[in-house]
Amino acid sequence: MRAKWRRELPLHFMIFPGLILIVLFSYVPMAGVIIAFQKFIPAKGLFGEQKWVGWDNFEYVMSLPNFTQVLWNTLFISSLKLILGLVVPIIFAILLNELKNNLIKRSVQTAIYLPYFLSWVVLGGILIDILSPSGGIVNDFLGLFGISKIFFLGDNDWFPFTLIASDVWKNFGYGTIVYLAAITGIDPGLYEAATMDGASRWRKMWHITIPGMRMVIVLLSVLSLGQLLNAGFDQVFNLYSPQVYESGDILDTFVYRIGLLDAQYGVATAIGLFKSVVSFTLISGSYFFAYRVAKYRIF
Amino acid sequence: MRSPNSSMWLKGLSALMLASLTLAACSGEGVADSDPGGASQDSQHRTSAADDGPFGKYDPPIEVSFVRDLSDVVENNVLGVLKDETIDNNRWTRLYEDELGIKIKYDWIVKGNSTSDQYLQKINVTLASGDLPDVIPVNATQLKQLADSDQIEDMTELYEKYASPFTKKVLSEEGTSVFDAATFDGKLMAIPQLESSMERAMYLWIRTDWLDRLGLQPPKTMADVLAISKAFTENDPDGNGKKDTFGLGLTKALWGGAMGLEGFMAGYNAYPNIWVEDASGKLVFGSIQPEVKKALQVLQNMAKNGEIDPEFGVKDGGKVSEQISAGKIGMEYGEQWNSIWPLQLNRDNDPNAQWQAFPIVSESGETPKVPLKFSTTRFFAVKKGAAHPEAVIKMFNLHLEKNWGETAEFDKYFAPPEAESVWQLSPVTPYPVKKNVDAFRAIDAARKAGDFSTLTGEAKTIQEKLEAYAAGSTEGFALWGWERIYGEEGSMGIADQYDKNNQFLREKFVGAPTPTMVERKATLEKLQNEAFVKIILGEPIDKFDQFVADWKKLGGDQITREVNEWYESTKP
Repeated sequence: MRAKWRRELPLHFMIFPGLILIVLFSYVPMAGVIIAFQKFIPAKGLFGEQKWVGWDNFEYVMSLPNFTQVLWNTLFISSLKLILGLVVPIIFAILLNELKNNLIKRSVQTAIYLPYFLSWVVLGGILIDILSPSGGIVNDFLGLFGISKIFFLGDNDWFPFTLIASDVWKNFGYGTIVYLAAITGIDPGLYEAATMDGASRWRKMWHITIPGMRMVIVLLSVLSLGQLLNAGFDQVFNLYSPQVYESGDILDTFVYRIGLLDAQYGVATAIGLFKSVVSFTLISGSYFFAYRVAKYRIF
Repeated sequence: MRSPNSSMWLKGLSALMLASLTLAACSGEGVADSDPGGASQDSQHRTSAADDGPFGKYDPPIEVSFVRDLSDVVENNVLGVLKDETIDNNRWTRLYEDELGIKIKYDWIVKGNSTSDQYLQKINVTLASGDLPDVIPVNATQLKQLADSDQIEDMTELYEKYASPFTKKVLSEEGTSVFDAATFDGKLMAIPQLESSMERAMYLWIRTDWLDRLGLQPPKTMADVLAISKAFTENDPDGNGKKDTFGLGLTKALWGGAMGLEGFMAGYNAYPNIWVEDASGKLVFGSIQPEVKKALQVLQNMAKNGEIDPEFGVKDGGKVSEQISAGKIGMEYGEQWNSIWPLQLNRDNDPNAQWQAFPIVSESGETPKVPLKFSTTRFFAVKKGAAHPEAVIKMFNLHLEKNWGETAEFDKYFAPPEAESVWQLSPVTPYPVKKNVDAFRAIDAARKAGDFSTLTGEAKTIQEKLEAYAAGSTEGFALWGWERIYGEEGSMGIADQYDKNNQFLREKFVGAPTPTMVERKATLEKLQNEAFVKIILGEPIDKFDQFVADWKKLGGDQITREVNEWYESTKP
């Protein structure tokens, strides 16, 4: 016992600076959530005589016209992003893994990873051009098949799906690499044994590859559930316009306009707290669920 | 947080405003001082009651703390050039110390300009911490909060006593409204740094090479504007045989200094986004008036006819400027500097493209009102209990005097050729609001007299650009754009004309945002812009009535009441 303690002591010291930083910058600021229950006036100071208003800020936000619609937009856009953002990279990783030609495999991998590094600021400008109904290449291409022009960014029926598709397209390269790494970690002996037993490719994929990736899949989906109320501020902010407010305005853009532009920090904090509570519940809930069902533990 | 395009747009705009400020000087009365030593002006200012006049010197010197931003311009183009000066010790700090006995000390300095996120955050943190400097530059909302929480000095009597006659004249050049904005319960709580709202005036920019090709005349009424728009769309003004041009350029933001709708709407006596007086003397919100409905109906017809880009609803200023640059748009409403951006882009692409600013016109052909949004956003408040609350007023006096007064040393303190933005080293930077149009008047007078040798200061610098353009020089930034502003047919000539005709309609509500405004402004703006864009793109015009009803219900009526209470309170 004593010896173990002495051996580990330096390690504990090593973790100490990180711990201090976390306490200082992640835990101490949590005290700031009190702003959510105040009518906060910056000039009176963080520790000044602010007026306590209880749940008023929350009620105010819920009572705003469009709030339910904004919440619905957020849930709709982000849940579809979560599901597709999970499924598409898995399928892609498995398909890529089956490729025998390493050159093609690597090139494809790099090509699909590329958009991940572009910011929405840049992509926003590009998308407006290529999705344009007059002269955008996407519509020109669809025109070849006799499909009439679609105003992807200006039509309320299409806008949410444009958001989802472009988000998945931007990010699936990253997910694919994570899953490919998980596949590489599978013991090749399993495949050899299966081949000996005469398993087809399809069988090997179904019974070895996918179960081998299970841990990473569960981990990523548990973590991504916490993002349910984040429908992607950067993306929506750069692509939306008054025309598509009704289908594209999400919680974050809503709070940005109400809370930050108009300096209503109490309201902005209230929404932030609301989002944190929902995320916390979802993450712990799904983690608990993953443990009960799949006997899976991350920590 | 801001979208890059809009921030690029803002950067462009602020760069331009800086540029025009940089070159700012009052050339009309700016006779160069022949006594640079300054001995004579000392005796002029200092009466026997030396310490207590507008220019009284503190002896021993006092220390006054400020906070400030440090913009790229100051850092690179001023301090980077003037090697022996620093932000804490430069010609302005020395001037304040030598002339007034005021030592300036900065509690903090943040990189970025005064509208950057970093600066705003730092100011908000300073307010929240309660650790205020002696003099604190704030916006209207922050000023109201400081005044309400009783943290700043009442400046009413100090201003009366210490402001020099010239300072009083300069700060009241746009009437009393700027003081109303800083007055609470009848007390002046800060010294406003008046910004020129005249610079917000709208002009109609038209591609005159297209006008000439189609044999059209400049517009006299809105009917002419519509006819030009139709011709620009249908008669192939660029001669490429395709119907690929639009009459009028606008952005998804609908409003603003370039490619906005304010000037168009003013042609129908509609003044959206600002508070105007109705027949009974009450303030009403421009956006919900029936005149706006009429203007929207016209815009809808233009859109149906293909004169407005059907995709304008998703395009910001950056995107629309690309269309202008590519020669797809023939008209746009905007401010006097539009020739520098975005129109210069078009000129760069196509040397035959020619644009000119025209005065906005009305439906009836009468002289229209030109709406001006209130644009002063910087107020200097003094911390309660500061030892010398009047010091900041004396600094205002000296800044104005040294740049535009009778003892001005323009080439030393405002814009020496090697560092044109030296004036920004001063923590307070008031300026006469008509400086740009005054520069135009000086140049124009010199042009008519055929003698440019009398020009000084800003006018001289601009004239050099005009000459460089006339000589066909390709060096220098946006020479064509400058010529379109200050040249013979330049936009400033129209500003001059607006001013002389008394065409300006100034925004009447200039107070801090009211409580309901703070709560509902974003919601109401969203409601408005969504409704307007959709109507222009073809939704039934009755949607406007629905918008008005919703606007009133969702807080507009309450805001109107608050605004009128404020208006009543400013009347004597």
